[in-house]
This record gives sequence, structure tokens and C-alpha cells, in this order.
Amino acid sequence: MRVRLLYSDHEWVGIDKYRDTNNIIQDLGLKTLFTMASKDVLKEDGAVKKVLDADDFIRDVVSKVMMVPLENEEEIYYRQGIVQDCLNNEDFIEGLYRIATDMSIQWDKLGRKDNENKARSNDVSWLMSRIRIIRLFVNSLSKLKHFFASYQGTFSSEGIAGFVKHLLEDFSLEDEKKYIELLESVDFYVSEGLMADDERIVCKPRIVLECGIAGGLKLTDVQLSEIETLHQKYRNPNSTLNKLREYVDNHTATDSIILSGDVMLEKQVAELVYRIMRYIVTYLEPFYEDCAAFFDQLRIQTAFYRGAVNLKHHAERFQLHICMPKVCGQEQLHYDTLKEFVMCIEQRITAIGNTCDIDDKLLVVITGANQGGKSTFLRSLGIAQVMMQCGFFVVAKKFEAGIFPQIFTHFTRREDSAMNSGRLDEELSRMSQIIDSITPGSLVLLNESFATTTEKEGSNIAYDIIRALHEAGIKIITVTHLLSFAQRLYSETASANENKAWNNGVAFFCAERLPDGRRTYKMVQSVPELTSFGLDLYNEIIGG
Amino acid sequence: MEFPGILDLHKNPNEDVARPAFFLDLNIDQIIERIDREWGEEVKSYFYFPADRESEDYRRKVCYDIKQAGLFEPLCAFRNKMLDTVRCSEYREESVLSLQKAVWAICEATGYCEALSGLKAALEAANSQGLLQSEGMTMLFGFLQDYMAGGEYQTLLVESRKLLDELNSLRIRMTYENNRVAVEAVDVKDAKELAPYEQFLRFFYKDNPKNLVTPFDDTVDLTKLERSVLAIFVKRRPEFFEAAERFEKSHRDFICKEFKQLTDDLSFYLSFRKFEIKLEKKGLCFCSPTVEEDKIIRAEGLYDFALACSMLDTLTQGSESVVANDFYYNNDEQFFVLTGPNQGGKTTFARSLGQLVYFTKMGLEVAAVSANLHYFEDILTHFSVEESVETGRGKLKEELIRLAPMMEAKYDKSFVIINELFTTAANYDAIIMGTNVLQHFIKQFCTGIYVTHLHELCEADKAVTGICAMLDENGKQSFKISRENIDYAECAANQVNKHRLGYEQLKSRLGGLNG
Repeated sequence: MRVRLLYSDHEWVGIDKYRDTNNIIQDLGLKTLFTMASKDVLKEDGAVKKVLDADDFIRDVVSKVMMVPLENEEEIYYRQGIVQDCLNNEDFIEGLYRIATDMSIQWDKLGRKDNENKARSNDVSWLMSRIRIIRLFVNSLSKLKHFFASYQGTFSSEGIAGFVKHLLEDFSLEDEKKYIELLESVDFYVSEGLMADDERIVCKPRIVLECGIAGGLKLTDVQLSEIETLHQKYRNPNSTLNKLREYVDNHTATDSIILSGDVMLEKQVAELVYRIMRYIVTYLEPFYEDCAAFFDQLRIQTAFYRGAVNLKHHAERFQLHICMPKVCGQEQLHYDTLKEFVMCIEQRITAIGNTCDIDDKLLVVITGANQGGKSTFLRSLGIAQVMMQCGFFVVAKKFEAGIFPQIFTHFTRREDSAMNSGRLDEELSRMSQIIDSITPGSLVLLNESFATTTEKEGSNIAYDIIRALHEAGIKIITVTHLLSFAQRLYSETASANENKAWNNGVAFFCAERLPDGRRTYKMVQSVPELTSFGLDLYNEIIGG
Repeated sequence: MEFPGILDLHKNPNEDVARPAFFLDLNIDQIIERIDREWGEEVKSYFYFPADRESEDYRRKVCYDIKQAGLFEPLCAFRNKMLDTVRCSEYREESVLSLQKAVWAICEATGYCEALSGLKAALEAANSQGLLQSEGMTMLFGFLQDYMAGGEYQTLLVESRKLLDELNSLRIRMTYENNRVAVEAVDVKDAKELAPYEQFLRFFYKDNPKNLVTPFDDTVDLTKLERSVLAIFVKRRPEFFEAAERFEKSHRDFICKEFKQLTDDLSFYLSFRKFEIKLEKKGLCFCSPTVEEDKIIRAEGLYDFALACSMLDTLTQGSESVVANDFYYNNDEQFFVLTGPNQGGKTTFARSLGQLVYFTKMGLEVAAVSANLHYFEDILTHFSVEESVETGRGKLKEELIRLAPMMEAKYDKSFVIINELFTTAANYDAIIMGTNVLQHFIKQFCTGIYVTHLHELCEADKAVTGICAMLDENGKQSFKISRENIDYAECAANQVNKHRLGYEQLKSRLGGLNG
């Protein structure tokens, strides 16, 4: 059986995370997204009434799945199709996730953990628990099939359609019948009895087996002929009628062994039955393994899409446009009204979006006014990139970007900014780690890197590193206050491919500044300026 | 026809034997431990039991036949079958119920016949290809043929086979219902056809059907449930059980003592061969040594067997991590004095020579590509006890006390290995004492090797030749042993160069500092 809602050709294994996962999460503020994906909102008449409590399982799954990038266009579109189906049929994914979750809770109650271990010898409770778990599997599969029946023909995605189709094939009506037949035949072993028409019904076994004789008269070569659970009316063994019946039976049967009253024989028969049950259960081993993996995967994979639906609800809360991103070449980057999702959620705002089509540029350099939205812009690009690479929608009217197998972030963090002799060393060491783990076609996001030394030195360092990376074909988006670095870069790119440097294309952006000095928080393509307009800020806060 | 056993022509291998003194020095105990472990049963004592001169050759030829005629597998099969048979016979003794004894007797007899006919088939096949060359195997084959043609054996074979077939055709049906178990006898229609519920189960596990291995108690004793079932069943098939009891009464102690002995003794050859196969898979060589009077020792690709054992887990096919040496004694040479750098493989080489002599004396194969040597009466070793707290005269005294009995006359024509004697004595004294020791053993017609750091001992006698543990071109130990002498000055220069510590090198490395 297969789920394959995350990948078309395999299940979730959770390996091949971004090498820089921890920094990406911290620098882009992704924890907020993980949490929001785990919290549904309660709506009333279309308006948000309440944000519900977090589902820790969804948070955990989203935080893991988001950090394992998809590798190509097909994989991304495969997931996008499923996300779209789920956004269109929220009931479906909610229902599916609920079945998977409820099933998992019952599984735990039946002693899932202990049952995964090997049974000890003569471990009746293990065996009973194993049979009950298998019964739960069969029931849950039947429930799933029933659930799908009401959604027939609703889905356009290959992923969901394939999942449903395979389940119906892999657990066909015939399979279902056989498993139910088998479970009924051994029901006596796990049944607690039942009531029917006010009479107590007890489940009793009937087992027929054949065997041969080996050395020393040991019984050997056993084969099972029949196993059945008999449903009988409960009889009081102490009633006179029953005692009489038993007496007659015991004295007429010459070819039977009477067990009642003989503790030793009763114990040995119980052991025999136990071994027969163990034997039968070994036949169900593949089914058990298969189902255990299937339900595990089902819960994980539906949780991911459940998270996507929740995120959409949060985007709606703040009137944010969402779209399914498209894949293009690494040197292209097209976006329309791209917004920084995390900031919007945290600050509960709609925010300003950025729009631009950048073609044939591998390096994007962002300079300009402090507090002008540079870092926000950089983060919005990073978040959109990560969301796209896990198959999610992005918060924009349009987003087209390349696929980057690795993303690295190098953000000078606020707590790091203090000028401090040891800091540059740390920054460089961090940079060196990035160089160690970088692979062809990576994306590097630099935010105020090398701010921990003088402008001149920082510029030189940045120049060397960025140039080397650029020539190695690495895409870099950098926010920098190192103006001499930006100027030098600009003049070199302007002077027509002299020493062939920077021939992978460079785009320069600045925070937009209106003629009257007001800032719009938009990023526009522009020649880098020598001032970061800190004076503006100074004037604003301190006064001119 | 008589059969004296496969191990020895004269002595009984069960005589009390103790571990020979040289075992520890030559690390032979480590080898035997590995063999024990691989075999899974203790076979140590067989390796404490040396062959006499005649039996050594007897064993070597048996050993050769086992390898060349591919008899390892069939002999193991024979041995296992015999062990099963012996177990059946023990159970038969212990059984209380006469019916139980009877069924054990059938199993014992059929198992015994199968073991013998399997052995006969294997030996016939080998013989028809002309591969039974050894006296031991030929005698065994003859003895076996005679025995199996005998009337007593034939009766046993026919009767037991018939009863076994009948036993196998008995089927019991048990129905457990309403707290009672009904027992019936059923006729076997088709043994291959599965019972209905088994058929049903196959649906769930198509690829890998399992069999319900006896769900009754694991012990060989009958449980009360089984006894109760059988008590009813026996009444349904009285003819068979009566016949079985008659058989048991008329066939007791039929296992021939020669085959019992053979079963035990085979473990000597088979345990060694099993281990050998494992090492051969790792690319190590073994050969059957040739014993000739006119050669002292000539070996090709000789290596330390114990060292190879200790490296077994890390060795891979074709690796050269076990160093092998080619080596010979000229006819006028009796003793080698081995010198060379520390950790250069001197002791390892000396051990590999000792092991060569030991395994040859055992009549087994040796750890080399090829080997010729003459017969040695015994092996004498003297290894210094390293890291001893005792120093000076104390240690020297201890060494001499151990040395004295080795120099008794009864040990002539032995192979002698001396490792670092008299290290605590002054060089002058040590040279004189060492020379005396060497001359003594030479006079006793002993052959051997003397590992020492004293080059002067190379001149101790005209029958002494100096040899060296070599260094490679980088001045590192190569673990190769050669008759060449090492130029130590050159080796030292190599090492200095390698570490870029030569005068010119240092000038150049330090050049920047002097401006």
C-alpha cells in the first residue's frame, strides 16, 4: 500500500534537509509559519472568530517537510496539484487527517509501542494486542474506502487520484473479505463476549489439526484444517442440567480427551492454541508491516496538507494574495506584489508588496536607506523560495523563480552587530562553513554581512567572496550597507565586461525614496548610492 | 578387515594430553581458539596430541585426500548424521515408555544407515576418480564396504526402513472443541496437499509460506497432552506399534565402535579444514608440506598463521596485509641469527617458522604457498618474558632456569626458536653465552632460529647464518626477512629526508627568517 502524497515515487523519509536548515529557520523566521500551519482558524459568516490551539503533530511535520527541498519542477507541480485540491476541498483533507489521527490514537491505546517489539515467549498479551491492532488496521482501511466513496471524481491532481486508486486496488473487496474472514475465525482469542437478545453470548474456539509422529513419539508436521469461532449461549457450568450433560458426555466419549478439571492438560492446550495463533499471526506479518508504515505515512503526509490549508486561512485573515509559484531559470526572478508572510502574521498587517521582473541576473545587490525595507524584501524572497520548494503557495500575485537545491543564509543578527574584535572571525568562520557545504546551483542570501569590521575591509572581503561565488555560478541576493563594495561592483559591471568579471549579470536595487524624502518601503532597480540615508533616520528621530 | 582409526596408527588419542610448552610462545593457542570457535565444539585436545613419525605421514595423506577429493562436505554430513544417531540412541536409553523406545530405535537405525550409505557414496565417488590415495581413507573405505555387505547390517537396513515408512504414513486428527480434544486416525491421501486452513492462510503470505513447526512443547519428553493423544491413537493402529516394539527388542547396540570413533576423530581434520576454507576465502594460502630427509627447510610465501587469525575480521580478499616470506636453509646451515629493527617482524617470522614445524608434525596443512622440510623430533622455544618487573640478575637467572632443561640431550634433532635471550646481561657476556647456546644446539643436530640484537652472534659457528628484517626505501619496516645485510646509515638518511629535516631542506624552509 502506498500514500505518496508528498512524492510521486516514494514515501516520506525525512532525509536530505537543507544543509543550512537551522540558519534558514532562524534568519527567515520560519518558526512562525510552522506554528501558524498548526493552528486552524474558526470562521463565522466568513469572518475569523478565533484562532484555535496548535496541533503539535502538524507543526512538527510542516517544520520537517518544509526543510527538505523538492528537486525539480515535476515534484513541485505534483505537490502543488495536491495543495490546490486540498484548498478546493478543505473537508476532504480535514476528514482524511482526522481518520489518520483517530486511528493513531486507538493504535496507541492498543499498545502500539510494546507491540512493535518482538514477543517474549508465551506472551499472550502481546499476541492479543497484535491481533487487535490488525483488526484496527482492517477496520480503518474499510473506513477510508468508505470515506473516498463520497468524493469520487472531485480531484484533479495526480497525487490524490493515484492515492485513492491504489488503495482501492491494494485493499480490494476480495482482500477485505479475506481479512475479515480470518479475523472472525480467530475472534475467540480476543473477544470479550457479547450480548444478544438479553442473553450472554460467549465465543469458543473450534480447532481441527492434523499431525504425524516423529522420533520418540513426538507429534510433528502439524497442519491446520479448520479454525472457527463458535458463538454459543452462555451456560452456567454449575447448573444441575449442565453437570448431568457433562457427565453423560464424558462417559460416552471413548476417543476424546476431557480437559475440564485437569489443570495440566488445560494449560498445555492453552499453550497449543497460543502457538497456533502465533503461527497465524506470522502470516499477517507483511500486512502488519505494510499497514503500520501506511498509517504512519498517511498521518504525516495528510498533516502537511492540513498545514497548507491552515496557512491559507491565515493569509486570508490579513487579506494577502496567494498564488501557486512557477519554476523558471535560476537567473530569472519574477514577482508581483510579493509580501513577507511572517512579518504580516506577526505584525497583523497587510504590508506593501514588491513587484519586478529580473532577467539574466545571478547576483542581486540591495542597498539603500536604513529602515527602508531591505531586510524585509530579502526575507520575503527567501520565504517564498522555501515555500515554493516544498510545494506550498506563496504570498504574492505572481512568483516565478529557479530551483535551488541548497539555500544558505548569512544574516548579521542584531545581537551580533556590536563591533567586537571576535565577531569578524565568527562571521568569516560561518562563511567558511557555507563554502564547505555549498553545492553547484545554490542560493546564498547575505544580509549585512561583514558589518563587523570597517567599511573598507568589509568591502574587500565581500568583494572577494561574492566574486568567487558569482564566478562559480552561485546565485546571491545580498543586502549590504558596504557602499564602496556596491560602487566598485557597479562601475565594473558598467565598464563593458572588462576582465570578464560579473558576466553572470548583476541587478542593483535600492529602497525607494520619494523626492520629498518619504520612504515607500518598496525596492526599485537603481544605481547604488553613496549614502544609506542614515541621516534621514537621524533627522527623523533626533531632529535636524 | 581391520580399521585402526583415522587419526593415528599406534596410539589412542584419548590418552591424557596436556598443552605443549611452546603453544603460548608461538601463539598456537590463539589459532586453536579460533578453530574451536569456528567449529563450535571444543577440539583443543586433539591439537595437544602430536603424531609419531609414522602417523604424521598417515595423517597428512588423509588430510590431503579430504581436500583433494572434496570430502569435507560429505564428511561433515556424515558426522552430523552420526551425532543425531547417537542422540537418538541416548534418548532411547532414557525413555521410560516402551513405545517411545521403539520409535527412537527406528530413528536411530534409519539415521545410522543413512549416515553410512552417505559416507559410502562419497567415498565411492572419490575412489572412482582415483582420489582415494591415503592409507587411512582406503582402509576406511574397505572396512565400510565389508561392514555394509554384512547380514546384520542388511537386516537392520531393511527392517528399519519399512518401519520408518509406516511411521511416516501415520496421521492423527485432533479436534479441539467444547473443552475436549477428539482424536482420530486419518489416512494419508496426498502428503503434498495442504489442509484447508493452511490453504486459506497462503492467501495472506503468498511468497514465503511457513510451516507450522511442532506447536507442542519443545522438549523431547512427551507432554501429558501428547501422551493422552497417543494413548487413544495407539489403539487405532495396534499392528504398527507391536512391530515397532519387536524391532526395538531385537536391535540394540548396533552402532559399530569404529564409526563412533571415526565420528569423534573426524572433528580434528574437519575443524581445521573448516577454518582453512574461511581463510582461503580471504585470499590466504595453505599447502600440504613435503617431508624429505635431504632438505632442512624451504618455504615459499610463509606467514604468521596466528597474526592472520587476529586480522581475520579486517582482512579482505587480495589484501597484502599479511606479510609472507620466502625462505630456505642451505644444507650446511643449521641456525639463523635474525637481527634487524624493532617492530620489524622478527618475532613474527620466528613464530611462523615454529608454526610451520608444528602443523607439519600434526600432519595438517601449513600456512604457506609451498613447504619442504625434514622430520623434527620436537619443538623447543625460549621467548623472553617482556616487561618483567625483575631486572638484572633476577631476569637473567630466570632465563637460564628455563633454558637448562631445553639443553638436555633427549631433545636432539629438534627445532629450536630462541627469542631475545640475555637482554639484561652486558653485551660481552651475552655474546659469549649466546655463542655457547648456539654451539650446543648445533652439536645436538638441532635446527633453529635465534632472534637477537647482537650481530656478533652471526659469527658464532660456521653452521650459523645471519639474516635481517628489512626496511623499505622510506626507511620503514617492511616486515620482510632477507639474507642481505642492512646499511643502517642509509636507512637513517632516508628517514631524515622523508621528514624534510636534511641540512639543505632546513636552510630552505628557514630561509625566509634570515632575510
